[in-house]
Amino acid sequence: MIEFSGLSLYDAVFTAAAGVTVTAALGVVLFRNIIYSALSLVLAFLGVAAIYFQLNAGFLGVIQILVYAGAISVLIIFAIMLVMNRPAGRTNLTSPRTREVFTGGTITAMMLTALIAAIGLSDWPKTVLLKGADDTVGMLAELMLGDYVVAFEAAAILLLVAVVGAIILAKGVENK
Amino acid sequence: MEALFVNLAAVLSGWLTSLGLSPIWADTVLLFVKWIIVITIITLNIIILIWLERKVSAFFQERLGPNRLGPFGIFQTIADAIKLLTKEDIVPSAADKLIFKTAPMFFIVVAVMLYTVIPMGQGMEVINLNIGLLFFISIGSLSTIALLMAGWGSNNKWSLMGAVRSVAQMVSYEIPLAFSLLGVVMISGSLNLQDIVAAQGKLWFIILQPIAFITYFIAATAELNRGPFDMPEAEQELTGGAYTEYTGMRWALFFLAEYTNLVAVSALMATVFLGGWQGPWLPSWLWIIIKTYGVILVFFWVKWTFPRIRMDHLMSFSWKVLVPVSLGNILLTGAGIYFCRWMGWC
Amino acid sequence: MNGQGLIKGLGITFKHFFQKEITEQYPDVMPQLAPRFRGCLQFEFEKCIACGICVNSCPNNVLSFETEKDENSKKKKLLSYTIDFQHCMFCNLCAEGCPKQCIYFDHNFELSSFKREDIKMVYLRPAEMDMREEESTNGQEQQESKEQKQIDAMQKALQKNPGKVLSKILEQEEDIIILSELMQSDEKTAGKIAELMVKDKEKAAKVAAGFVNKAKKNRAKTETAGEGGDAND
Repeated sequence: MIEFSGLSLYDAVFTAAAGVTVTAALGVVLFRNIIYSALSLVLAFLGVAAIYFQLNAGFLGVIQILVYAGAISVLIIFAIMLVMNRPAGRTNLTSPRTREVFTGGTITAMMLTALIAAIGLSDWPKTVLLKGADDTVGMLAELMLGDYVVAFEAAAILLLVAVVGAIILAKGVENK
Repeated sequence: MEALFVNLAAVLSGWLTSLGLSPIWADTVLLFVKWIIVITIITLNIIILIWLERKVSAFFQERLGPNRLGPFGIFQTIADAIKLLTKEDIVPSAADKLIFKTAPMFFIVVAVMLYTVIPMGQGMEVINLNIGLLFFISIGSLSTIALLMAGWGSNNKWSLMGAVRSVAQMVSYEIPLAFSLLGVVMISGSLNLQDIVAAQGKLWFIILQPIAFITYFIAATAELNRGPFDMPEAEQELTGGAYTEYTGMRWALFFLAEYTNLVAVSALMATVFLGGWQGPWLPSWLWIIIKTYGVILVFFWVKWTFPRIRMDHLMSFSWKVLVPVSLGNILLTGAGIYFCRWMGWC
Repeated sequence: MNGQGLIKGLGITFKHFFQKEITEQYPDVMPQLAPRFRGCLQFEFEKCIACGICVNSCPNNVLSFETEKDENSKKKKLLSYTIDFQHCMFCNLCAEGCPKQCIYFDHNFELSSFKREDIKMVYLRPAEMDMREEESTNGQEQQESKEQKQIDAMQKALQKNPGKVLSKILEQEEDIIILSELMQSDEKTAGKIAELMVKDKEKAAKVAAGFVNKAKKNRAKTETAGEGGDAND
C-alpha cells in the first residue's frame, strides 16, 4: 500500500465510500422531504456498492447497483409518488410526541450498543485472499448452484410465491 | 498504427514513473488521462452524431438536411451547441431546485461511466473489468433514476408523465436486455468484454445468437428511449417528457447523455455480437468505430421508419414476447452447448 | 407472418434513402409556380375605370381608392389606388370581380419587408395619363377618333352577331343571311357597311340591298353553270 500523509490510498477510498454511505443514510432519516430521503437511499446503495468493489466483490457490487439502486429504489420512489397526499416538504417529519421519540431513541441506542459489542468482542478470523479471487462470479456460481443449490432454489421459489401473492392481493381473485 | 494508443499510454506511464511517481499513482493519473480522452471523444462525437442523424433522417424523407453551414452543413451542430451554451439558464420557480439541477449531471455521469468497460481496440479500455458486461448493464439501469429526478424536479405533469413512462419502460426492458446477453456469456464463458471479443475470433456471435441479437436490439432501443419506443420524450404528446422544463445548457446535457448512451450501446452491440475490434487490414480501434457507426445507422434507420407505438403495447410486448423469447434463447443455448459437448465439437 | 410489415417498412425507407431529394432549393433555385399562383397583387392604373367592385368585394378592406369628378366629361377620374397588402388573404375576389382585369395576382411571393409601412402599395395617377387626355380634347381630332372607335365597335359587333345588327338595315331574313355570309368571306364589305351604318343609316340600307342583289345574281349564275356542268358529265 502506498503511504500518503499517513493514509494509504486504499484507506482514502474506503473512507470516501463509507462517508458517502453514512451521510446518505443519515439523509434518509433526517430529510423532511421524503423524495430526498428516497434519493439519498440510492446514494447509500451506491456507497455500499463502492465498498463491495473495494473488497474485491465486484459481482456483489454490480448486483447491488442493478437491483437496489437501479430497480428497488425506483419502485420505492414510485410508491411514494403514488401515495403522497401532502406538500412534499412535510412528508418525512419527526414524530411530534416525545414518548415515541424517546422509545425510538432507546431502541436505536440498544441496537447500536449490541452491534458495537458484537463487533468488538468477536474473534475475527484472518481471511486470506483466496487464490483466483479475480473470478468471483465463478466462485459464487459454484457456491450457489453447487453446494447451496437447495437453499438458493428455495429462496427463488419463495420470491416467486411472494410475487404471485402480491399480484393476487393487488388485483383480487376473479369469482367465476 | 495498430498499437498507436497502447504505446502512447505506455510512454505516458513510463514518463510518470520517471518523474518519481510510484506505479499506483502513475496508474491513477493515467486513468484520469483516459477519462479526459473518453469525455473529449464523446463530446466531439456528438457533434458528428447529431449532424449524421439530421442528415440521415433527411435522406430517408427525401430532404437535404442541414446544408448551409460549412461543407454538407457539418458545422451546423457546432452553431447549435454554441447557441445552447449561451442560452439563458431557466429554473422554473415551482421546481424542486436541487433535484432539478442535479438530474442532468447525474444522467451524464452515468452515461459516461458506461465507457469504462468498452474495449476500444486491442488492449484499449479504461479498465479491464472481469465483470464488464454486468457492469455495463447495471450502470445503464441507473439512468432511470436521473430521468425520474428530472421528471419529479420539474414539478410539471408532462415531465412527470414522461419520467414515469420512461422508468416503467426501462425497468421492464432491462430484463430481456440482460437475458439476451446471457446467451453470449454462456458461450464465451466470461463476463469480461475482452474475453467475449476474443471468443469471436472465428465466428461472430450474431450468427451463433441471432435471437439474442434481435431481442437485445429491441430492448436496447427501448432502453435508449429512441424511436419507435420514444414515448418518454414524445414531443407531440408530452412536449418533450422529462426534458420539458429544461433549457439551454441543462437540456444540452440531457441530449448529450442520450447520444452518449446511444454510442455506448452501439459499441457494446458491436463488441458482443459483431466481433468487437477484430477485423482484417485496418487497426483495431478503427474497426470498432466502423462497427459502432454501422449499428448507430441501423438505429437511425429504425427510428425514422417506424411510428411511435402505444405505451401499453410496448409494455405487453416486453413482458409477453421479449421476456419469454429471451428465456427460451437461454434454454436453447444451454441445450446447444451440452449437445455440442456431447458430440465432442467443443 | 408477424413482423413482415416491419421489414417491408424498413425496405421502403431504405429505397427512399437513395432516391433524389424532392425538396425545392428555393433561394438557390426559384420554384416552379402554377399558372394561377397568387403572389403579389398588381394594379394597372390606366385600365382602371374606378367602378369600385374590387373595393366592395374585398372581405378584409385591403383595397381603397380616391376619385375626382372630371368637370368636362362628368366621368370619375381615379387619383390614387392603395393596396394595404398586410391584410390580404389572397381570396382572389377582387381580381375575379374586376371588369377590366386591371387588378390581378402575379407570381412574386417574396413579400417580406422590414417595416410595416413598406407592405402598403400606393399607386398614384401617372402624369402622362392626364397629358394624353388634354391632347385628345383638341376638338376635331377627338371627334374623328371617336368615330373611328365607333366604327371599330360596329365592325366587331357585325362579326360577332351579324343577324341582329343587320336587321336594322335589311328586312328580309334571307337577305340578312346572304349578306352576313358575304361579309364573312370579304372583310372589305364588312368594313364599308360598318362605316356607313355609323355615318348614315339610310345609305347603308341602300348599299346593303345592292350587295344582296348582286350576290343573288351571282349565285343564280353559278348555280346554272353548275347544273350545266353536271349535265355534261
